[in-house]
Amino acid sequence: MKALQTIRSSRKLVTLVWILGLIILWECGAFYIEAVKRTPENVLPHLWQIIASVFSTKVISNGQTATQIVLTNAGATLLRAGYGFLIGMAGGFLLAILMKLSGIVEKVAFPYLMLIQMIPILGMAPIVLAITKDIGVSRIVIAAILTFYPVCTNTLAGLKSVEQEKLDLMYLCAANRYQVYWKTLIPTCIPFFFTGLKISAPMAITASILVDTLQGDGGLGCMLSQSLKHAMSIYVFWQIVFLSAFVGVASSWLMGLLERRFSPQKRLAARKGA
Amino acid sequence: MNGSQTAIKIDNVGMVYRADNQEVTALTGVSLDIEKGEFISLLGPSGCGKTTLLRIVADLLAPTSGQVLIDGSSPREARLQKKYGMVFQSPVLYEWRTVQKNIELPLELMKLSKEERAERARKMLELVGLTDFAHHYPQQLSGGMQQRVGIARALALRPEILLMDEPFSALDEFTREKLHEDLLRIWGKTNKTVLFVTHNIAEAVFLSDRVCVLSPHPGRLSAVVNIDLPRPRTMELRDTPEFTALVAKVRNSFEGV
Ligand SMILES: Nc1ncnc2c1ncn2[C@@H]1O[C@H](COP(=O)(O)OP(=O)(O)OP(=O)(O)O)[C@@H](O)[C@H]1O
Ligand SMILES: [Mg+2]
Repeated sequence: MKALQTIRSSRKLVTLVWILGLIILWECGAFYIEAVKRTPENVLPHLWQIIASVFSTKVISNGQTATQIVLTNAGATLLRAGYGFLIGMAGGFLLAILMKLSGIVEKVAFPYLMLIQMIPILGMAPIVLAITKDIGVSRIVIAAILTFYPVCTNTLAGLKSVEQEKLDLMYLCAANRYQVYWKTLIPTCIPFFFTGLKISAPMAITASILVDTLQGDGGLGCMLSQSLKHAMSIYVFWQIVFLSAFVGVASSWLMGLLERRFSPQKRLAARKGA
Repeated sequence: MNGSQTAIKIDNVGMVYRADNQEVTALTGVSLDIEKGEFISLLGPSGCGKTTLLRIVADLLAPTSGQVLIDGSSPREARLQKKYGMVFQSPVLYEWRTVQKNIELPLELMKLSKEERAERARKMLELVGLTDFAHHYPQQLSGGMQQRVGIARALALRPEILLMDEPFSALDEFTREKLHEDLLRIWGKTNKTVLFVTHNIAEAVFLSDRVCVLSPHPGRLSAVVNIDLPRPRTMELRDTPEFTALVAKVRNSFEGV
């Protein structure tokens, strides 16, 4: 018990050291850039400058401050990423179940899955936009496609990881197919499903931001490129960088939280730890 | 035979596996009649087809020749009538279910009421001596206790036939000997027909009414040795000359291994 506590607190310590290290590294870079560049904020501003820009009340464009711009555009992008993520999650899970249920579905679907995974997202996005003619829908579609693959393949791997003996046991008890899935296959695949979710949640957000850059209709990606082109304060760019990183990490963390709540195996681990 | 009934009739069973255009003959011409309530061991070295035979009896595999009859009907019918309980080499417990919920699993599949499930699980836990561990999780139990849960789960359906595939081979000697005695006690109380797979000669002799010796390449029944040791059997039996003689007899019955 004591050893466990030491490990836990030391893990916190490691995280702290990491963050401190990053801050120091960043600031060293910032001081250096400040010394050698004419517009250092375009390359690497000080962290306090970025923080100051968050609280700045200076109106930048359309009567909004930098923070207001970031937040309103973040809403548009992240909401679509969220929708896409949910759709991809449900679709990936269902397809995995269907592939497990039927060998034919698996044989037919698997090459398409691989194909989707191999096409670069930047190549796919303009096509989706051309078809849907709507940037919001495109964000959803792209986020869904990106979520789909990790969720589907991980869930399928989970469904296939069930020991033969458990299936034999179900068979000997004359369980029907529904019972085999509900009592054995699905509970076993839940941790795998969550692994897929943890991988794809940040990806869905990144994808959504990338889609924004295709069109000038707002969204985090759009503001990002405008800010980079000096159409508005560069600090919008820096705020977005940090916000995206934070939301990406938070999304993955949230999945971990949900896993502890909903995965039978993890729930058990939590109870034992308590 | 005076009124004894055949519980399992294995009639000239052969099994050929086909994989990658290769044929592996796992069993040829195995015939054996097992009476109701008998304790039978299938003994043999690795790869001689013990698991294969057990799976054929359990309707998990279809033989490529011959047939198996359970009470005169097919293994499939027997399975649908829940006549089988199976214990595997590993405990195969559901790690997210408590001991009690593990035992209740087959009963859930039968759609028994919650009360009846709990009642039956309670009886089974008592039978295997794990009453105090009902609400523990499998990971919190020792290997021997986990295997007891496996036995309790197999018995929960009240099967007529208990199939055990090397259930104790992963356990240490002390635990194994304790479980041998417990298994015999449980068997004495419940009157199941037991088909017990092992590669341990002393284990087979200690437990069984008859030891069926299988030889490999191809798997076949090379001898059936009657174990006429008195019951109830206890640990001390292992030190008697009669026991040692039977172990030697079984060992000598192996053909060219
Ligand atoms: N699914 C399979 N496909 C092909 N060959 C198989 C298959 N299962 C078993 N065999 C072969 O059949 C033979 C008998 O296997 P089986 O598992 O019944 O042996 P066993 O007596 O249970 O061995 P062990 O003591 O190691 O468990 C072996 O030669 C094995 O390689
Ligand atoms: Mg085997």
